[in-house]
Amino acid sequence: MIEFRGVSKTYPGTERPVVNDLSFEVPEGEVCVLVGPSGCGKTTSMRMVNRLIEPSQGEVLIDGEPNTAMSGTQLRRKIGYAIQQIGLFPHRTIADNVAIVPSLLEWDRDRIKERVDGLLDLVGLSPDDYRDRYPAELSGGQQQRVGVARAMAADPPIMLMDEPFGAVDPITRERLQDEFVKIQDDIKKTIVFVTHDIDEAIKMGDKIAILRQGGFLEQYDSPENILANPASEFVESFVGADRVLKRLSLMRVGDMNLEPVNGEGSGLPAISGDLTVRDALSEMMGSGTERAVVERDGERRLITMSAIEELSQDRERPRE
Amino acid sequence: MEAIFEVTQRPNFPELLQTHIVLSVVSLLIAIAIAIPVSLAVRNTPLGSAIAINIGNVGRAVPSIAILALALPVLGFGFAPSLLALTLLAIPPILINAATGLKEVSREVVDAARGMGLSEAQILSRIQLPIAMPVIFAGIRTSAVQVVAAATLATFIGGGGLGELIVEGLQRSDTPVLLAGSFTIALLAIATELIFGGLERAFTPKGLRLARKKK
Repeated sequence: MIEFRGVSKTYPGTERPVVNDLSFEVPEGEVCVLVGPSGCGKTTSMRMVNRLIEPSQGEVLIDGEPNTAMSGTQLRRKIGYAIQQIGLFPHRTIADNVAIVPSLLEWDRDRIKERVDGLLDLVGLSPDDYRDRYPAELSGGQQQRVGVARAMAADPPIMLMDEPFGAVDPITRERLQDEFVKIQDDIKKTIVFVTHDIDEAIKMGDKIAILRQGGFLEQYDSPENILANPASEFVESFVGADRVLKRLSLMRVGDMNLEPVNGEGSGLPAISGDLTVRDALSEMMGSGTERAVVERDGERRLITMSAIEELSQDRERPRE
Repeated sequence: MEAIFEVTQRPNFPELLQTHIVLSVVSLLIAIAIAIPVSLAVRNTPLGSAIAINIGNVGRAVPSIAILALALPVLGFGFAPSLLALTLLAIPPILINAATGLKEVSREVVDAARGMGLSEAQILSRIQLPIAMPVIFAGIRTSAVQVVAAATLATFIGGGGLGELIVEGLQRSDTPVLLAGSFTIALLAIATELIFGGLERAFTPKGLRLARKKK
């Protein structure tokens, strides 16, 4: 667990803080996304977790202990770190890049090799093909995979990720995001994730902290609640006018509370239960139908436009 | 041709050659010992790097003969002032390249290293130095070739070296002596270039060669 307790940061020679009295908790195993426009202090906040930046006021606690309990370098070896520009070491092989923290921690060679190969597999790079290559030989997307693998190398319980999928094209980014969501389902790290992209925040985050210029925390909540109940005008405009649709994209049709089809289902278009409600809405509008059949686990249920409307107007946490 | 070869058989030739080489090598080593630590000290401060690089550039603009002439009134004639002058001449290229090379190690790479828990000493030895190494060696190579050539001028302030043959050849209009001196110095300079070029390649990590090729 990571806790920000009254954390402020003011750089010497400036009056205005870049981070302003920040207090929130990131529960263990959750992804907390810090999101906001540039100058909102999101990266600064993240960098105070592993003390690349020291707060001017307040403290950051990790599992209840102030993060100043050990030296900065010791602390950082226990916290995964991945950045947008990746920062792979150009003179080291991919394997050496991934192995950097394990070797700092003096793991033995066999253990390092096994770990490196396992991680390369995990991020979708075949170890036999990539182990001995150099960063310059990889595409941007492949480099970002290596960057993420490197951050996970010593199996740190906490990871910091600053726009880790920022330096690639949108299609590759989406694929990397999807893959990482899957990986996180298994590894359950406590992650502080920085982005300026609200869609990425909604997709990756268990919790989202929306920051405003000057380092003010506007809202800290689950993506569903932020979309359903924006705490301020700033949040409302930041999440965008399509927040209702964004919220629908968080829910799957198969998770909706729908009535079974009673005989009348024949002739209606069928929709996969794996679709998000947003995609289902789009399909139904596209085929000009008010009603469709959702098939899931052998059951046939009826989805209607009015059920979706009801869902989108629901100001409470949606039923799951 | 034979006459030129005869000059190299003179009893004092080995001594002249030796002085030339010793002057060059020692001044280069002293210059490295000064320029590299300075570059390391300023590596993480942009202002410090800029000052070091600018001092280097100013130093480079001063002609070698002027440096030798300046050494004369201060230290008089002989080996020591020659050594000092050549050292002053050797410092700028090394300083410029080392400071630039270290400065240009990408900030993201250093940030990633720091963020993963490398200490400042580890960042220097494992990241900054290996990445800057080719540029640092290029500076040393430039410096070495320049010093071998400039050591010729040491003779004007009594520093000895192969320059004596050239002066003698000019004074007596003795072409073979003149050419023996010039050829030997040229060969020394070329050999220096080749040796340091080889070192530069040997110290360029494979990953950087690949990165350079890609650009």
